[in-house]
Amino acid sequence: MTEQERLDLPQGTLDLLILKAISLGPMHGWAISERLRDVSKAMLQIPQGSLYPALHRLERRGWISAEWGASDNNRRAKYYELTRSGRNQLQREADAWRTLTTAVSLVLDMG
Amino acid sequence: MLRDWLSDTVSDIRYRFRAVFRRGTVERELDDELRFHLEQEARKLEATGLAPDEALRRARLAFGGVERIKDDTRDVSGVSWLETFGQDLRYAVRGLRARPAFTASVVLTLGLGIGANVAMFSIVDQLLLRVPPYLRDPGRVHRVYLTTTSRKGRDVTEGTTEYTRYLDLTRFTKTLDATAAFAERNFAIGTGEDARELPVGIVSASFWSFFDAPPAIGRYFSAREDTAPIGAPVVVLSYAYWQARYGGSPNVIGQTVQVGPAPCTIIGVAPKGFVGIADEGDPAVFIPATLYGYGVSMERSRIDYHTTYHWGWLYVLVRRKPGITTEAASADLTRAYQLSWEAERAMSPRLRTAEAARARASVEPVVRERGPNASPVAKVAVWIAGVATIVLLIACANVANLLLARALSRRREIALRLALGASRGRLLAQLLTESLTLGALGGVAGLAAAQWGGAILRALFLRDAGALDVVRDTRTLAFAGAAALMAGVLTGLVPALQAGRASLAPALKAGVREGTYQRSRTRTALLVLQGALSVLLLVGAGLFVRSLHNVRSIRLGYDVDPVLYVSPNLRGLRLPASERAQLARRLVEQARTIPDVVAAARGISVPFWSTEGTGFYVPGVDSVGSLGRFTIQMASADYFRTVGTRVLRGRGITEADRADGEPVAVVSEGMAELVWPGKDAIGKCIMLDSPSAPCQRVVGVVENIHQTSLTEIQKLQFYVPIEQLRPEEAVLFVRTHGDASLHADQVRRQLQKVMPGAGYVTVTPMRDIIDPRQRAWQLGATMFLVFGVLALVLAAVGLYSVIAYAVAQRTQEIGVRIALGAGVRDVMRLVLGEGMRVAVIGIAIGGAVALWASRWVGPMLFSVSPRDPVIYGLVAVVLLVAAALASAVPALRASRVDPNVALRSD
Repeated sequence: MTEQERLDLPQGTLDLLILKAISLGPMHGWAISERLRDVSKAMLQIPQGSLYPALHRLERRGWISAEWGASDNNRRAKYYELTRSGRNQLQREADAWRTLTTAVSLVLDMG
Repeated sequence: MLRDWLSDTVSDIRYRFRAVFRRGTVERELDDELRFHLEQEARKLEATGLAPDEALRRARLAFGGVERIKDDTRDVSGVSWLETFGQDLRYAVRGLRARPAFTASVVLTLGLGIGANVAMFSIVDQLLLRVPPYLRDPGRVHRVYLTTTSRKGRDVTEGTTEYTRYLDLTRFTKTLDATAAFAERNFAIGTGEDARELPVGIVSASFWSFFDAPPAIGRYFSAREDTAPIGAPVVVLSYAYWQARYGGSPNVIGQTVQVGPAPCTIIGVAPKGFVGIADEGDPAVFIPATLYGYGVSMERSRIDYHTTYHWGWLYVLVRRKPGITTEAASADLTRAYQLSWEAERAMSPRLRTAEAARARASVEPVVRERGPNASPVAKVAVWIAGVATIVLLIACANVANLLLARALSRRREIALRLALGASRGRLLAQLLTESLTLGALGGVAGLAAAQWGGAILRALFLRDAGALDVVRDTRTLAFAGAAALMAGVLTGLVPALQAGRASLAPALKAGVREGTYQRSRTRTALLVLQGALSVLLLVGAGLFVRSLHNVRSIRLGYDVDPVLYVSPNLRGLRLPASERAQLARRLVEQARTIPDVVAAARGISVPFWSTEGTGFYVPGVDSVGSLGRFTIQMASADYFRTVGTRVLRGRGITEADRADGEPVAVVSEGMAELVWPGKDAIGKCIMLDSPSAPCQRVVGVVENIHQTSLTEIQKLQFYVPIEQLRPEEAVLFVRTHGDASLHADQVRRQLQKVMPGAGYVTVTPMRDIIDPRQRAWQLGATMFLVFGVLALVLAAVGLYSVIAYAVAQRTQEIGVRIALGAGVRDVMRLVLGEGMRVAVIGIAIGGAVALWASRWVGPMLFSVSPRDPVIYGLVAVVLLVAAALASAVPALRASRVDPNVALRSD
């Protein structure tokens, strides 16, 4: 995938993706990055570093909680987990996203 | 929903807390986290066959700039602004510590300016802004003022009125929730050695309902104890008096304490800080209004204070019903006042009708100084507060100049930082932090200055009020904080803006000397501003000093410094009139035996403190009352010599004018001219009280005196022998050698021996009676002078520092000039010229503004035109001299510049 074909993420969507990625179970930052890349069939190429400011912001907002643990190769890693309010936030943001895209599609299919 | 919000907020706070207080750990964790990511990515790439360092390189590439990511992550923490601020603060403090002289002078300058303002604010707050503590619903509570229009068309507004009137207003109004009467008098409280004269609050029972202040112990007096005409002898102590005199003992209830002439039972203690409505001083105790009315009436043997309208002594406090506007309340009170007026007319048919007198009432602020009869002291206080603000502005201008100069010398450093990528916004923030720090330090210094110096100011303005601890009063502290903030922002803004606009290239050029002199328009403008403001203040000072001088040199018609006023007080002892007359004569005789006493005499009225008028008739003149207001003084022999009123024609009152002698009178010059124009008053007749009274033959004419006002002369006084009319009255005047106040105590002790029973005498120097009238001018003169001089000193110091700095920067240029042949005089002229130019422009602008503002200051002056050219001229000269002195020192230094040293390349 070349540079030009990478999709630019609209503002705030990164949070939604992270929340969704973590919703299936606790993960550390690198795992989240890998998961997003795999699942979107590599269409989403997020500069990996930009994940971390987003992760910390979500941590501060209280939607994800962090805990240090051991990775699968026994290294110390910071694992992020969805909190209860984070789960609610994910639901809200997912709904909002779906509504938005449906509306935009409707307009695009207009004529 | 709420639970989520709660847990989110907790999480937010916890994160920020860690970011601030566990910085080290947070940094390390972030480092670990990012390093873990890179290692994982590198491992993944190695697994595809890449070499380890190539894998790491690719991983880093995919990741992005690590430091940038770290920065971005830190920004997310929500406390980065705090860290930035902390950095700026530390940098500023370091910079200030490195230049102690600069810092000290700035802090001192700001401290003086802020301190002056804080001190004046606490005074103005005390006089004007404070609402009486515990007042319930202050928005609906008012003091009532009654206005009538005199025959000459002048409006007279009075707050004090009669008890009967108070009852009328209460009865006839419909829009008021509650009314109360209150007054304040000084009485001796206690007996024997402990007796001291203290302010006593005289209040109606309804007064207590205006406040949300349950008694500390006991209770307040009820309506039953405050029913006219005889009030119950009960008293409520103030908290302060209870603590001071009774040590806060709960056993005071039921005890008796002597308040003036009446022994009263203590029934309660007011809560801490309760002072009622303290116009003069904080009352020590409170007694019912009817008790006071009855007590005073007893001395006059006429218990009619609640049915007649002769004696006005109380203020009326009212609370509007909710929903009633102030206009509606005023209209209601006006109607009630007119009804009351008609009731008065029924008793005194010669009174004009309410319409003729245009009798009206109005509701005004409770704080007396905010009402229509504000004392001149309050007005002066507000002006002085304005003056203090001007001084602060001058101080800020000084500091701004200093900061400007410093910013100029840091131009290179600033340009470098800009070139290295600092945003102008950050630079501005840092410069502002510096000036805010200076402002804060100045604020602290100002508080200290206000605490110590303010004690003197408070003694001048608020004579009777308790000491106010500046540091513990929240409003004053808030004001000091605001002043410090304003000072910091003002002083920092100018150099910060200038620095922000600095262009980089010229500053960074190699070979440019550090801080070459640049004529700065801003700096000159600031200096001119300081000069103009100083002119303003000094003109004000000159005007007030002149006013004070004029006031002091008014011929009052009597002497002030050598005269004592003696008031005996029988303390409730009832004596028949003949014995009181004897006592009075004995007091005079005793006074005459005291060494250093030149003369002694009796009277009934005292200038400014009490005046009496009485009706009189003159054959040939229809209505004397329409000619003006006459006041009467009943005097004993030697009166005119004692008080120092000059006898112009005929004679004064002598020993020969006894009760059985011919009725005589002495009139003032003004009265003689008015009542008998063109004729000699001596030999004419006056009949007192009724046309059929015996003829008091005029035997002398004396000079006019100032009876009730310092500024307006009241010319209509007449004197009759006290022995012929009211021999039992015993107020004394005593004339001593030299300053009377030095002999006051001796006179008191000698006269005390003559007093029967528990009676005592109060001796007051006339100076203490007259001085308060002059207080407003005295204050204006003192404060304007003090602040004016302060402003001048600040401005001169500012001018000096700017010119000295300029000379230092222009050393090279001056060296060139000298090398090219300029003489000492030329160099000095160059430097002095700068200073004088600033001064002249400042004088012009300041003078113009002063002329424009003169219309507001005019009414506060006495016999001085606010555009007095002599004063303006004097101020101009003073400023020019100050500017010359300030520029002279640097000018001298400039003339001594050695061209060899100056021209050496750096």
